[in-house]
Amino acid sequence: MKFTGFLQKSLLLKVLFVISIAVIFFISGVTYKHLSTLSDSSIDVSRAHEVSLQLERLMSQLRDAETGSRGYIITRDSTHLEPYNYVRIRIEASFSILNHLTKNNEVQNENVALLENLVYNRLQIMENSIAFANANKTEELQLNLLRGKKTMDSIRNCIATMSELETKILSIRQQKYNNTFSNTPILIYIIILIGLILSVLSFVKINRDVNELKKANNQLSIANESSNMAEIVGNFGSWQWEIDNDKYSFSDNQYRLLGCEPQSFEANFDNLMKYIHPEDLEHVQDVMNRMIQNEKLPSFNYRIIKEDGQIRYFRGIGKLITNKSGSKTLLGTTSDITDEYNAILETEERNRELERSNKELTAFNYAASHDLQEPLRKIQTFISRLDDNEAENLSESGKDYLKRIIVAADRMRNLIDDLLQFSRSNKIEKNFETIDLNQLLDNAKLELSPTIEEKKAVILSEKLPELEVIPFQIQQLFTNLISNSLKYSKENVAPEISITAAKVTASDDERIPSASKDKYSRITFRDNGIGFEQEYAEKIFILFNRLHNKNEYAGTGIGLAICRKIVENHKGYIFADGEPNIGATFTIYLPTA
Amino acid sequence: MNKEYIHIILADDDEDDRLFFTDAFKELKISTKVNTFNDGVELMHYLNDPEAVLPNVLFLDLNMPKKNGIECLHEIKNNARFDNIAIAIYSTSSSEEDIEETFVIGANIYIKKPSDFASLKKILSEVVSINWQYHTSGLNKDNFLLRL
Repeated sequence: MKFTGFLQKSLLLKVLFVISIAVIFFISGVTYKHLSTLSDSSIDVSRAHEVSLQLERLMSQLRDAETGSRGYIITRDSTHLEPYNYVRIRIEASFSILNHLTKNNEVQNENVALLENLVYNRLQIMENSIAFANANKTEELQLNLLRGKKTMDSIRNCIATMSELETKILSIRQQKYNNTFSNTPILIYIIILIGLILSVLSFVKINRDVNELKKANNQLSIANESSNMAEIVGNFGSWQWEIDNDKYSFSDNQYRLLGCEPQSFEANFDNLMKYIHPEDLEHVQDVMNRMIQNEKLPSFNYRIIKEDGQIRYFRGIGKLITNKSGSKTLLGTTSDITDEYNAILETEERNRELERSNKELTAFNYAASHDLQEPLRKIQTFISRLDDNEAENLSESGKDYLKRIIVAADRMRNLIDDLLQFSRSNKIEKNFETIDLNQLLDNAKLELSPTIEEKKAVILSEKLPELEVIPFQIQQLFTNLISNSLKYSKENVAPEISITAAKVTASDDERIPSASKDKYSRITFRDNGIGFEQEYAEKIFILFNRLHNKNEYAGTGIGLAICRKIVENHKGYIFADGEPNIGATFTIYLPTA
Repeated sequence: MNKEYIHIILADDDEDDRLFFTDAFKELKISTKVNTFNDGVELMHYLNDPEAVLPNVLFLDLNMPKKNGIECLHEIKNNARFDNIAIAIYSTSSSEEDIEETFVIGANIYIKKPSDFASLKKILSEVVSINWQYHTSGLNKDNFLLRL
C-alpha cells in the first residue's frame, strides 16, 4: 500500500489550497481599494459641483440685490429693496457652505476668503449708493455706482478663477485614478486565471488520489475477504484490542468459532470472557495480562463453551503492537484445535491399547517360552526314558508309534523355539552397536557346529565389514541362513557355503529400491544345495511358507521370515535367488553410515 | 572337600522335575546327597537354620510359587554365610532377560532344563564335577549359560 504517497499528495493539496486562498484575498483587497478610490472620486466630483452651484447662487443673489437697489434708486419705491434686505443672510449661508466645502484645499479656501471680502465690499457700496440716493447727492451716487461696477467685475473674476481651479482639481484626480487603475483589470484577470489553473490542478490531483484510494480500498477489501475465507478454511479467528481506548473488534470467523452469527454481539472483553470455560477463565485472563506487559508468550490452550453448549478446545496466541503514535493494540489469533486435540487423545488411547496388547503379547511369549515348553519338555524326557528303558518291551507297532511320537514332539519343540525367535525379532530394541560382523558369523558357526560337523559342510567367508547393528539379531540372521543351507543340502554332497561381502551404492545396484539410503554393505550367502524355482523367491520369506513336505525336510517355515524381519529392522533388504539342483543365493543389503 | 559325598540341593516346585533330578543322580553313581525343596520359602527356611548343613551346589528353579528363584538368589547373595555355595540356575526358560538378571545378581551357572534324560544326566555329572573356584574366576556372560 502506498500510504506514504498519499501523505505527500495531501501536503501538495494543502499548498495548492493555501495559494488559492491567498489569490482570493488578493483579489478582494484590490477590488476593495478600487471601489474605495472610486467612491472618493465621486465625493470629489459632487463637491466640485456643489462649489460651482454655490458660486452661481452667490452671483445671482448679488445681481438680485443690485437690481433691487437700482430699482429703488430710480423709483424710490421701497418694494424694490426686498431682495437687498434678505441678501446678507443668504450670502452668509452660502459662504458657510463654501467654507465647509473648501476646507481641505488651502488655495480655494483663500479664494473663498477673498471673494467674501469682495462681496461684503460690494454690499457696503450698495448701502452707500442707497444712502446717497436718499440724500439726493447725485455726484457721489454716480461715483459710487462706478466703484460698485468695478467691485462686481473683481467678483466675477474671482469666481471664474475658483471654477477653473475646481475643474483642474477634478482633472488631476481623474488622471491619478486612471494612472493607478489602468493595470488593475489585467492583473485581476491574470490572478483569477492562476487561481483557476490551481483549482483545476487540485481537482485533477484529488480525482487521481480518490481513484487510487478506491483501488487501494478495493485491494484491501479483497485482502480482507481472502483473510476471512482463510479463517474459515483454517478454522481460526482473530481479534484486536485497542488498549488505549479499550475498543475491541472480532473477525467474523471468531464469532463462528463461538457458534454465533458474525458480529451478532458487541465486541468487548466481558462478552468474550462469557464463552470461556469457567475453569480456564483465570488462566486466560492471566495470559492476556501478561501479553499486555509485552511478554512474548508461546501459544496457550483453553476451553470455550459454544453458544449451543458444546465444549471446544482453542489455541490462542497474541502479540502487542505499538504504532508510531505510541498507541498499543493487542492482536490475537485463536484456532479451534478440538479435532487435533481429539486426534491426540485418540492416538494416546490407541498407544495405550498397543501398549496393553504388547504387554499381553509379552505375557504370551513368556507363556510360550516357559509354560508351553515345560509340559513338552517333560513329555520328551519321559519318552526318552521310555525309549531307553522300555522299548524292548513294546511290540513292533508300539515301537513305531513311539518313534512317531518322538518326531512329532521334536517338531513341536522346533516350532515353539522358532516362533519365540520370530516374536523376539519383532521387538525392535534400539540397542544398535558397532560390531565386527566376522565375530557374529563365528558365533553363528559355533552355534551350528554339531550340524556342520555332521554334514561335513565347508563354509568359506570373505572378511566382513564392521557395522552398526543389533548384534544378537544379525547373529540370528547368519545362523538361520547357514542352517537353511545345511538343511536343504543335496543328499550325499557335502554342503558348501561361500559368503562374500562388498560395498555398494544404491544408484549402482538396481535391486536397491530408490529413495533409500545411498551406501550399503552387500553380504551374499551362496550354497550348492537343492535350490528352488525362482518363482518362489518371494514366497519363501513369508511366515509358515514351505516349499517342501515336512517329511522330506524338517523346516518350520519360520526361519527365513525371521531373516526378513531382522533385515527390515535394520532398514535393509534381502533377496533370494534359486536354481533347482544348483543352489540358492541369499543377498542382504545393510545400510552403512 | 573333606566330605565323602557332594551335598546337592534342588529347589523346584515341579514334582516330575524333582523325580528326573533324583533319578538322574541315582543312575550317575556319583557319591552325592540330594535334598529337594518344593519352593523358595521351604528352601530359605532350611538354609537360614544355623544348624543346617549347607550344600556344595544349589540348583535353583526360577519359576516357583510363594518365593521365586530370583528372590532366593538375592537373599543368598546378600548373606556371607552362603558365600561358598555354588548356585546353578535350573530353568525351563532360556530368555535373555532371565540369563542376564541371574548373571548380574551372581549365580554361577545357568542350565536350561534339557528335554531328554540322557542329556540331563550328562549335564548334572558335568556340573557336579566343576571346579567352582576356577570356573567362577573366569566367568563371563558367554560361558554362564551351560552348553553341551
